[in-house]
Amino acid sequence: MIESPTVQNKTWYTRQGLWSLFLICALPIHLWTLILAVKDFSWVSERTNAWDAIGLLSYGMVFAFVESLAVTLAAVLLGFLISRQWEQGRRIALLSTLVLIAALWAMAGQLYFLWGISIPGTILGFLAGTGHPVRILYAVGLALVTPTVLIPAYLVLESDRVFQAVQEFSGRLALLAGLYLLIDAVCLVILVARNL
Amino acid sequence: MQPPIDRREFLKLAGLLSLSVSAPRFLPGTAAAGQDPGRQNVLVIVFDALSAYNLSLYGYPRETTPNLARLAGRAIVYHNHFAGGNFTTPGTASLLTGTLPWTHRAFRYNARVIEPREQDNLFHAFEDYYRVTYSHNPLVNTLLKQFNRDLDLYLPRERLFLANDGPIQNLFRNDEDIATTSWVRAVKRNEVGYSYSLFLTHLYEKYQDLKIEKYKPLFPRGLPNIRGDNYFTLEQAVDWIGSQVGDFPQPFIGYFHFLPPHFPYKTHQEFFERFARDKYKPVEKPEDIFNQKKSPATLLKWRSWYDEFILYIDREFGRLYEMLEETGILENTWVVFTSDHGELFERGISGHTTPVLHQPVVRVPLLILEPGRRNRTDIATPTSAIDVLPTLLHITGQSVPDWAEGTVLPPFTTDRQDASRSLYALQAVSNEQLSPLAQASTMLVKGSHKLVYYSGYDKLGDTGERIELYDLEADPEELTNLYPSQKAIGSELLDELQAKLEEVNRPYRST
Repeated sequence: MIESPTVQNKTWYTRQGLWSLFLICALPIHLWTLILAVKDFSWVSERTNAWDAIGLLSYGMVFAFVESLAVTLAAVLLGFLISRQWEQGRRIALLSTLVLIAALWAMAGQLYFLWGISIPGTILGFLAGTGHPVRILYAVGLALVTPTVLIPAYLVLESDRVFQAVQEFSGRLALLAGLYLLIDAVCLVILVARNL
Repeated sequence: MQPPIDRREFLKLAGLLSLSVSAPRFLPGTAAAGQDPGRQNVLVIVFDALSAYNLSLYGYPRETTPNLARLAGRAIVYHNHFAGGNFTTPGTASLLTGTLPWTHRAFRYNARVIEPREQDNLFHAFEDYYRVTYSHNPLVNTLLKQFNRDLDLYLPRERLFLANDGPIQNLFRNDEDIATTSWVRAVKRNEVGYSYSLFLTHLYEKYQDLKIEKYKPLFPRGLPNIRGDNYFTLEQAVDWIGSQVGDFPQPFIGYFHFLPPHFPYKTHQEFFERFARDKYKPVEKPEDIFNQKKSPATLLKWRSWYDEFILYIDREFGRLYEMLEETGILENTWVVFTSDHGELFERGISGHTTPVLHQPVVRVPLLILEPGRRNRTDIATPTSAIDVLPTLLHITGQSVPDWAEGTVLPPFTTDRQDASRSLYALQAVSNEQLSPLAQASTMLVKGSHKLVYYSGYDKLGDTGERIELYDLEADPEELTNLYPSQKAIGSELLDELQAKLEEVNRPYRST
């Protein structure tokens, strides 16, 4: 539901808005940790035991919780740069979108190594031939990333349909993020048990 | 390549043994005779994964240990000294408990000694001493922490790291290894290029880099490290010991276990590429069934890097000795130089994570530098890591406890060494701690013969076992398996080894 601008524009953030932003920040961070920690599970359990592997995953999830707090804080600070001419809901939706896009790019950057992707020799040859391969790579990266940030940002701010879609999508993802926070609580108990 | 010790030298040294036994340490040449042995200090310096095979002190063609060779001029040098296992946990546990891996049961990765034997350790035996320990290696720290109640000072490993994960290690002190491993996986991409963290990795890496920036030019292959960016230098550790040892309450026993020359082999710039273009060619050896598919070129490269890393530890040990000498502490301190296991670069295998027990991975250096000694004594008799504990107790005037399985080393006992004594080493990393040894490699050395018995490995096919017999005197490189041709001696040794295995497995068989 779109909030009333007359009430919401007076404050930067409501408690509900901050909670919603935190859940969105927590989601990709926890998801990525979970995927990689599960991937490491057998590696650890083979060398030590399953309890240590569970420990590794638990620490990972707790560290992910701390990272979520840090990223939320960064997003909140970034939010102060956004004009209050937009209502709080729209600003939260914008920040959520930016966090998700950044997370997707961060995942893509790691998948490059995770999947062992290598740049084809012809492209490498071309880059080397230009004399400025690093500059060109940065330029290509910028050309790819910039539109994926600017276009969604513009649409969230200017299009009610996109804004509503983002809000609905965020609402559903937030439910999933809530599940991860529940896992965090269990992991915290495991950490305490391991450190007693 | 010359063998580490040839037949002639072997016999010569064997001859020296009888002399050294009959002319013990009380004769001129040793200044310790007039001192009260009960008040003498002990410093045990362990360099991880240091193979005797690669030391010029023992005949390796590359000059890897000029400083050690110099110091050996006033030391007792053991030429056939064997570790208890082929990686840190069993090797160190045997050194610290004076018992074999099937007794202390710390043969799994990062394992602890079984609870009933927790008090049977070097530090408990030296209970009247001030006991201080340090190790870079977390596997060693697992054992040291188990013996913590017998320690007066356990220096956390991060204290001698350049940039460290100190807050994590301090926060989760009781679960340091897994907490640190998870932290490393969370925020450090390292060589793999990915981490659990999506956003903090780059920031964290920049912060850590700032802390080690000035040391980087000194190590062209990267700073020595363990588990990610736990960077250290030996200089830092040596300086710490040199500056602190004079302040330890006396008598003290110090156990310092440094990671080099363990992988990754990152030597100091002074030794960088020292052996890159020499003409050295290792003895060609057949591929082992347990080979890791490493090509001869790869093995040669790693060997050169390892040898260059040994030069670094040799320099730093020499420097440590000189620092200690300047303080005057050596007038009253025994210094032991040894390793927990070796390293090998042959038969398609690199490192020590392997089922094999060939000489480079189990034969380690042992030098004992006695206070006031001015000459060198060479001991060729096969000796074991489990002998170090009883020897240290003996030379400091203390009684050897019943639980110690080793014997006092020559020349410190007037008892003639039993020529038929059997020495063992064990690799059983996949076995459950409290189960009979189902998948294991076991070594028996008796006289000049060495028998290795492999059992339970999938790679061994239907028989599930492999037996090797070598004559170390005639074939120090272990090129010819004599088991098929010398059945008599082979069967005798195998029977003895299997009887021993039956004996050590018995308490762990379910009724």
